[in-house]
Amino acid sequence: MTNSLLFGIATFVYFFAMVLYVSYLAFRSEMLGKVASLSLLGGVVVETAAIGMRWYESYQLGIGRAPLTNLYESLTFFAWTFAVIYLVLERKFKIRTVGAFVAPFPFLIMAYASLNPNDIQPLVPALKSNWLISHVVSCFVGYAAFAVSFGVSFLYLFKARAEKRSPKSTGSFWEFLPSSAGLDEIGYKTIAIGFPLLTIGIVTGAFWANVAWGTYWSWDPKETWSLIVWLIYAAYLHARITRGWRGKRAAILSIVGFAATIFCYLGVNLILSGLHSYGGAS
Amino acid sequence: MAVDEPAKGAKTDGTDFVAKIWDFLTSLKLVVILLLILSALSIAGTVIEQNKPVQEYYRFYQPGTVALFSKLGLFDMYHSWWFVACLSLLALNITACTMDRYRGIMAAMRKKNLILDEKLSKSLQNLTTIRYVLPPDAVEKKMVELAGSGFSGKHVVTVAEDGARHYFFEKGKYSRLAFFMTHVSILLIFLGALVGSFFGYKAYTNIFEGETVSQVEARTGKIQKLNFQVKCNTFHAEFYASGMPMDYRSDLSILQNGKEVIRKTIRVNDPLTFEGVTFYQSSYGSQPDQVSIEVVNRDGSVKGAVTAPFGQTVAIPGVPDKVEAADYQEHFHMPDGSEGGRAIGVNIHPANGGPTGLWLLVDQPEYDQRRGSAYYFRVKELKLKKYTGLQVNKDPGEILVWLGSILLIAGIMIAFFMSHKKLWISLRTDNKGKSELTIGGTANKNREAFSKEMEIMIQSLKEVS
Repeated sequence: MTNSLLFGIATFVYFFAMVLYVSYLAFRSEMLGKVASLSLLGGVVVETAAIGMRWYESYQLGIGRAPLTNLYESLTFFAWTFAVIYLVLERKFKIRTVGAFVAPFPFLIMAYASLNPNDIQPLVPALKSNWLISHVVSCFVGYAAFAVSFGVSFLYLFKARAEKRSPKSTGSFWEFLPSSAGLDEIGYKTIAIGFPLLTIGIVTGAFWANVAWGTYWSWDPKETWSLIVWLIYAAYLHARITRGWRGKRAAILSIVGFAATIFCYLGVNLILSGLHSYGGAS
Repeated sequence: MAVDEPAKGAKTDGTDFVAKIWDFLTSLKLVVILLLILSALSIAGTVIEQNKPVQEYYRFYQPGTVALFSKLGLFDMYHSWWFVACLSLLALNITACTMDRYRGIMAAMRKKNLILDEKLSKSLQNLTTIRYVLPPDAVEKKMVELAGSGFSGKHVVTVAEDGARHYFFEKGKYSRLAFFMTHVSILLIFLGALVGSFFGYKAYTNIFEGETVSQVEARTGKIQKLNFQVKCNTFHAEFYASGMPMDYRSDLSILQNGKEVIRKTIRVNDPLTFEGVTFYQSSYGSQPDQVSIEVVNRDGSVKGAVTAPFGQTVAIPGVPDKVEAADYQEHFHMPDGSEGGRAIGVNIHPANGGPTGLWLLVDQPEYDQRRGSAYYFRVKELKLKKYTGLQVNKDPGEILVWLGSILLIAGIMIAFFMSHKKLWISLRTDNKGKSELTIGGTANKNREAFSKEMEIMIQSLKEVS
């Protein structure tokens, strides 16, 4: 299948981009940085083609469906949204140095995806719905935004410590990274992007569940965990906006939020049972 | 806190008590504790599987644990009184906090600072003073044009005591009410769920092909009469070559006074709604309609034949016994553990004494011979009838839930992506007829972007000549 080949090439390009981002941080050459960004963009382009090809091939098989319905497809789509969101933020906030810590993820996610079966299966009746695309896309773009916030918040913790230890300029490795205040702000802004998307994802999911099963909320593990994730980020936003939580406390909340997000995405499918079993590994 | 505190001396015990409760309801502590408890409970509910048959719990837990968990309501915890109490407290907390902040924000919105004085200017960003050789009227015209393009709506002009003119522009004032939208929306969703649970029902019904129902049994066990009848014309299940389900569909008709009002084929993801009641394709199955059985002597000669409608007891020719086809299994488990295929559970009612039960295998006609009695049964023909399993819902609160959801999304969007921008400009004249313009602004969100916007405006103002 052409789509598998393209996904394979995309994985390889993501790997290449990861190596370049790390070298950029190590050698601090602007040229390397530009090539790193370009190769990540190249990975996105190849993967876009792969997703499109997989969609097209599903029609050729007489199945005809969006490639967003099992673990392999959701992981590859997650890697794609992750890379896209990161590239947009890198351009907007000029944070290429963060890339060394964020760019490995698309490669790692793709590598994990490749361990799962990737044949194109037809859809069970419950998944045949126009809500599929809007529900999955909003959830995953939200997850990707939270993932970037996680990476940036994690980096914040180290950077803030380094700044505290040596407040004066020393030309050290940490100096090369964005300021802790900048990281803190990006950590917040990415959550401000992810939170509305997660909300839309939950609402479209509830609407779809109501059409398919006649109940908009049934406390199934996926629904419950998405609510927990929503509550954690809601707490983050309230703490930040009304109580002025910044820096370390905000960063830790963002990290906790992403841990819950990952459990909601993978943990629920792999460990708990429920209505969302399509995404499981089996 | 923005609550109007009564004067200290005038405080009675009553108001003191009310104030204390109010303080508790609007406290950050309450929110944090509630959110933590709700999260912990929700996690517990995903680890302990909910609403399973009791037998299944005994496979995972000790009998004592099952009894304890069941008493605590842990097997249906999202509907337990303590979980609902936590949610109610959260609703109260949201209501109180929203009222509290609503007062504060409305007061702040009403109280406008229209004069760019020294105190105000200290809190502003991009504060700049520009001097012109032009008279103030000429500057004013250009200035209003420039500032007005970025700030839709009317500006307020105030003439101060010293003769200086002060201009106040603002944009996105009502974006401050986004918090009101998001919190009210959550209350609306709660209210919708409440209305649904009090005035709606969730029920389930099986309808055989060609048959009609006019009532359904709710999950609570209550019989709900419908104002109309539902008929299942046909049911079809289709499968992919791999055995995976492809499509389930029921051709349904709604009948009123014996006349067909609506006819629709429903599928998973495509239900039928009539008079507020919605029918969802949920499951399907089949039951024997009638069974033709041959009665065979031990020597292999046929004694006679019986046609037994399912569930009815019929006489067997030449024998005093009667027979009843009472049960059906699609995948019969043989005593040795193998699969026996389709099987019919039959009761034999002798003239005297109680009935005996036995299984007849449709695909192994001579199976009953091994019973070793005077005659045995052989299944000749099995007619099945299919039924469709429908979930039936009535939920008058649903519309509130969707309204709340839309309001929530809109509120969050406004809260994050719109900001309240304010701009002050003062214009004064010195005794030589030259003008001096001072400008400064503030935004409650995304200050850097606003600062850039202002820089451009200031640059254009400087170029006025």
